[in-house]
Amino acid sequence: MKGYDYYKPDTIEEAMKMMSTLDGAEYIAGGTDVMVLIKKKALSPQNLISLRNISELSYIDTDNGLRIGSGVTHSRISESDFIKRHYSALFDAVSNIGSVQVRNVGTVGGNICNAAPSADTLCPFLVFDAVVLIAGQKGEYQLAIDDFLLGPNRVALAKGEIVKGINLPALGANSGSAYIKHTRRKAMELPIVGIAARIDIDAKGHPNDWKEAFRRIDDISDMLRLLEKERFVCNDARIAMGVVAPRPIRAKKAESALQGKVISEGLLDEIGRIAASESQPRDTLRGEAWYRREMVHVLTKRAVLMALERMIHADSSNNPKTS
Amino acid sequence: MEDFLYVGKDVPRTAEINKVTGRAVYIDELKRPGMLYGKILYSRYAHARIKSINTEKAKKLPGVKAVITGYDIPDVRVGFMEDQTVLKRDVVRQYRDEVAAVAATSREIAEEALDLIEVEYEELPAIFDPVEAMKPGAPLIHELDGHGRPVKSNVLPLRWTLNVGDVEKARRESAYVVKDSLTTPWINQCCLGTSGCVAEFDSVNNLTFYSQTNVIFGAKQRISRYFAKIGLKDKKIRVINPIVAGSFGTKLDTDIYEFICIQLALKTRRPVKIQFTREEEFRTLPPRQTTRFEIEQGCDKNGMLTFRKAEAILDNGAYTSWGATTPSVMMMPISSLYRVPNVYFNAVCVYTNNIYSQAMRGYGNPQASFAVEVSMDHLAEEAGIDAAEFRMKNRNRPGEVTPMGLKITTCPLDRCITTVKEKIGWDQKRGKKNGRGVGMASLIHVAGGARVYLSDGTGIRIKVDENGHVDVLSGSTDQGQGSQTVLAQIIAETIGFRPEDINIIFGDTALGLWDAGTHASRHTFIAGNAAIRAGEKVKRQILELAVEYVPKLLKSDFRKQKKKDPDFHEPELDFTLIDNPEKLDIKDRMIFAKKAPENPNFRIDVARVLNRALNVGNGESKTVMAEVFWDPPTQMLNSEMKGNWSCTYAFGTTGAEVEVDTETGEVKILKLVAAHDVGRAMNPTLVKGQIYGAAYIGVGFALTEKLQVVEGRVMNPNLRDYKVLTALDDIPVEAVIVEDPDPMGPYGAKGIGEPGLVPTAPAIANAIYDAIGIRFTDLPITPEKVLAAIRAKKQENQQRDA
Amino acid sequence: MKREIAFTLNNEEIAVEVEPNWTLLYLLREVLEMTGAKEGCGVGECGACTVIVDGNAISSCLYPVMEVEGKNVTTIEGLSKEDGTLHPLQQSFIENNGVQCGYCTSGMIMSAKALLDKNPDPTENDIRVSIAGNICRCTGYVQIVESIRKAAEKMKNT
Ligand SMILES: Cc1cc2nc3c(=O)[nH]c(=O)nc-3n(C[C@H](O)[C@H](O)[C@H](O)COP(=O)(O)OP(=O)(O)OC[C@H]3O[C@@H](n4cnc5c(N)ncnc54)[C@H](O)[C@@H]3O)c2cc1C
Ligand code: FES
Ligand code: FES
Repeated sequence: MKGYDYYKPDTIEEAMKMMSTLDGAEYIAGGTDVMVLIKKKALSPQNLISLRNISELSYIDTDNGLRIGSGVTHSRISESDFIKRHYSALFDAVSNIGSVQVRNVGTVGGNICNAAPSADTLCPFLVFDAVVLIAGQKGEYQLAIDDFLLGPNRVALAKGEIVKGINLPALGANSGSAYIKHTRRKAMELPIVGIAARIDIDAKGHPNDWKEAFRRIDDISDMLRLLEKERFVCNDARIAMGVVAPRPIRAKKAESALQGKVISEGLLDEIGRIAASESQPRDTLRGEAWYRREMVHVLTKRAVLMALERMIHADSSNNPKTS
Repeated sequence: MEDFLYVGKDVPRTAEINKVTGRAVYIDELKRPGMLYGKILYSRYAHARIKSINTEKAKKLPGVKAVITGYDIPDVRVGFMEDQTVLKRDVVRQYRDEVAAVAATSREIAEEALDLIEVEYEELPAIFDPVEAMKPGAPLIHELDGHGRPVKSNVLPLRWTLNVGDVEKARRESAYVVKDSLTTPWINQCCLGTSGCVAEFDSVNNLTFYSQTNVIFGAKQRISRYFAKIGLKDKKIRVINPIVAGSFGTKLDTDIYEFICIQLALKTRRPVKIQFTREEEFRTLPPRQTTRFEIEQGCDKNGMLTFRKAEAILDNGAYTSWGATTPSVMMMPISSLYRVPNVYFNAVCVYTNNIYSQAMRGYGNPQASFAVEVSMDHLAEEAGIDAAEFRMKNRNRPGEVTPMGLKITTCPLDRCITTVKEKIGWDQKRGKKNGRGVGMASLIHVAGGARVYLSDGTGIRIKVDENGHVDVLSGSTDQGQGSQTVLAQIIAETIGFRPEDINIIFGDTALGLWDAGTHASRHTFIAGNAAIRAGEKVKRQILELAVEYVPKLLKSDFRKQKKKDPDFHEPELDFTLIDNPEKLDIKDRMIFAKKAPENPNFRIDVARVLNRALNVGNGESKTVMAEVFWDPPTQMLNSEMKGNWSCTYAFGTTGAEVEVDTETGEVKILKLVAAHDVGRAMNPTLVKGQIYGAAYIGVGFALTEKLQVVEGRVMNPNLRDYKVLTALDDIPVEAVIVEDPDPMGPYGAKGIGEPGLVPTAPAIANAIYDAIGIRFTDLPITPEKVLAAIRAKKQENQQRDA
Repeated sequence: MKREIAFTLNNEEIAVEVEPNWTLLYLLREVLEMTGAKEGCGVGECGACTVIVDGNAISSCLYPVMEVEGKNVTTIEGLSKEDGTLHPLQQSFIENNGVQCGYCTSGMIMSAKALLDKNPDPTENDIRVSIAGNICRCTGYVQIVESIRKAAEKMKNT
């Protein structure tokens, strides 16, 4: 291992200044990607600039939407009851990343900046229309997550720029979300396929306590039938798919097929099929393409269902079910 | 019989307390003064001619003390077929071929030096499929054999054929016959600690070799053969085991890296350590090889087995280690699991340019039992008999001799099957084909040693000191199963001490007596038998001392008491009660008269007697020490592959309940019940530990584990992509101990190290069949395979309906 | 380019010279010769190197040594008392056969300790989640989970 020096700036400004003066420097947050790359000799920095001690990167702010500092660890997010309840897809993602040891140091910022095709937070961020807050040479600016992601391990950051945080817009009252990570084992896994879904329901014209009737239903199919019968319409939907393209992508056709439609079992199956047709998976040793495509179909359906279920249970005393 | 103090009890493994405090010394922790670190350069091709090797740059790197290639060491062959050299000079035949090695003052420098070695290759055509490699005209992996004779075929000259009765006739006469083809994958043993060793020569080239081997005397013998070839014939060799972090078969043979380490130490005249990285462990450690089976069996109209015929092709890889002998164990379930009168088995091991192979826990039995037990279910269905009933009908029974010549002594297989049936809810759940299903499979395994060498014995030496502490020197090893505790229980029980008085010293050829190795689930049985015999001798010696010293001690006690208390009356004692060792016994550290066990006068702490008798300070110079070599009365397999090679055999049945997600192809294990015949459970908690651990590896074998070897190269050399199950893959396993004390077993115990693994995969495969009506014959049963099969079946049905 | 760092190791303040490119595991094993934490993979995938930093279980093989400055590090060596009395988790692993080869044990116990320090009354699933990053090849985890569960009970009752 070639030696490197290690710096621990306290502010973003200081960090950016170091980056502009030090040779062969890289930022490191939790280091769960960086250290692995160094050990595998895929990265040989001369200097590491640690972002861990920059307090301005470690906020979770839940006023009117959700704002998370890039330095927040996966563990901290998964401990937030607010996120579990309202931004369930993100909770699903962070609480199943690697292992406790990885979650305790790995950060959201690192996850999105490393931008692995399998990075777990990316699909949830896509379905929440997240905006990346970037500290650049000329000041702060924002970029939609969809524009931030360029390709496998490639993001729209200029040299030296730092991701400050991620902003998630506030959600409608009748919104639910889920992320399903399809793996061979239950832990220490990258997804074979990851699917996130968010769905907002139009409850206009329904009584205020319309959810009560649904909460009494145990069986998911019954729930779907009732939604169809009562003609609940999807107001807004997002579906994002991981590991089926060079970077996580939205299934935009599937989304528009949901938009404005009455929810039904048949519709969900159709959505799954459309999403599958939008995916472009490859054969790798971790999974075969045909299987990944099939899983997009199945899991899209399941993710939307789970999102609906959570939407119904979100503000009840029942905690939303998590996978 | 049940009044044991320690046998059958959950004695905690206090002997290994250093493992919970972080103080245990494994090979990784071992440092010797002046020690260097060795690293190996492997081939970049699966098959190539080496055109040149240039080590000049590497040698110049500061900190590098030696760089060696095949030209720097004697060109001699090693390995059980003598089919490879330590460093390869001319041709490389697999990606793991060792081309050069470096010793340097740190791992980092050694690694850097590897990058500076320049090797030019000329690629040769390679062959990776054993079936292709068997074909006449296929390129030969080896041109010459170990004796320098030309090789004609890639098939190893090892004959693994068993032929009993008349299979052809039996097939013609069978009412039902089924035929199946099955395959099992490459499996990495995945010990949590990686492989490593330290070689250290003294100034006149005697070697101390710290090795993780589980056959210390075998390792010593192999090294001494090597020494003879390289001009070190008269040098002394001592092999020492540190604490070993798992073995599972990887430590049976002396690996090439160990010879390289010895060469580096010889060259640098300093101790050298080689310690693998996890990636090396995956890329270079000989895995369990792939096996293809063709199996056919039949039964009559009453459901009694008539014949079984199985043929196996094993991918040996480029060289030969013990993996090539696993057919001897495959033969066991094929010939002897359930009663089958006519048996034919043939296996061939074939050279390819894949990584060479080795045995793993179960030694061929898991693969063969997978074939037998999946086929059993198939045949039961064909014959229209419930699969559990079918097994009950054909089960083995005590007293029988199997076609392979195995003499079954005790056999509670019936109880194993019924226990599993009951606990898994067989009658209520079987045959629903509704996405949920139950299945079972059984096993037979050696449980009283396995005579694979001329001797299957072990030596044990027990010595007792003046404080009543016992040192036991054993030539065996422990790789984590808890042998120290079990052996201490046996010895404590036998002599009359407590387990905590016993200190077991394993793994040192200079201290221990010869032992055939800790393999084949043999340790408890063989070492236990030796320990009982040695313990009895020790006990006799102690009692002889007691006859002499107890009266003396009593008299001096009385004298002292009288001094204190002039009114003290010396009790009238009948010394004839203790005038002969036969009349005395020891329990829980107390010596007592058998006829008057409660008589307080004759109850004396054994340590007092020993202290008086053995203490040099007292001028007495007695010793208490015994030595026993015990070799079980078993036979090696003869040229027809027959023989009763173990004193006893263990049976067991595993039941699985699964749920198949028909949309994703995922298989969820709802329950596993593993009922195992252990003879007597010496330590139920430890026995269960063996069963749980083995069952878990079995689940991995069934569903997740596969070393992906593509054109000879390991593609998933890490713990993320090689899917060892995690604690969250919560598999509810119930271990059921079935006891039926074995007459030859130490206190009735049988070996239980490997069995738990064996029936797990077929039980799961059979349960999946019960759930969805599809028989999987290719391990691991991944969601992709399940879903593809479900699709194919649907299509087939639609076509049929159309 | 050595640097000096100061931190608390098993309740003792220490100051050591380190190379900035070391990992915490390297410092512990190779320099301080505290070899309880093991290196089973070196890349975060096995958990054998788990230690506790400021209350959190982490993989020390990926933890830059420079980040421990001012932090509180606990390793397996810091669990038993000075008189040799074992921590209830250590005792429980011995009693319930949570140890076989022992190579995963230090890491397992540290993961379990981090859990119990935060959650003295864990469910079986909590326990399994806490050790999901600790691979064990020997035990099938059953008796490890049992060891942790029983230790938790004992710790609650004392
Ligand atoms: C054993 C193991 C299991 C894992 N399992 C998963 C998993 O299940 N799912 C998953 O998605 N990932 C997984 N990972 C990958 C990794 O843990 C995550 O991607 C994690 O979120 C990375 O965060 P970090 O803080 O450790 O990033 P680092 O390694 O510190 O940084 C990653 C990259 O981002 C850059 N960077 C970090 N922060 C910033 C910032 N604020 N501004 C600009 N650039 C920045 C760094 O320069 C670097 O290029 C696993 C890793 C390991 C070792
Ligand atoms: S050594 Fe750190 S996780 Fe494996
Ligand atoms: S006890 Fe051996 S790896 Fe866990």
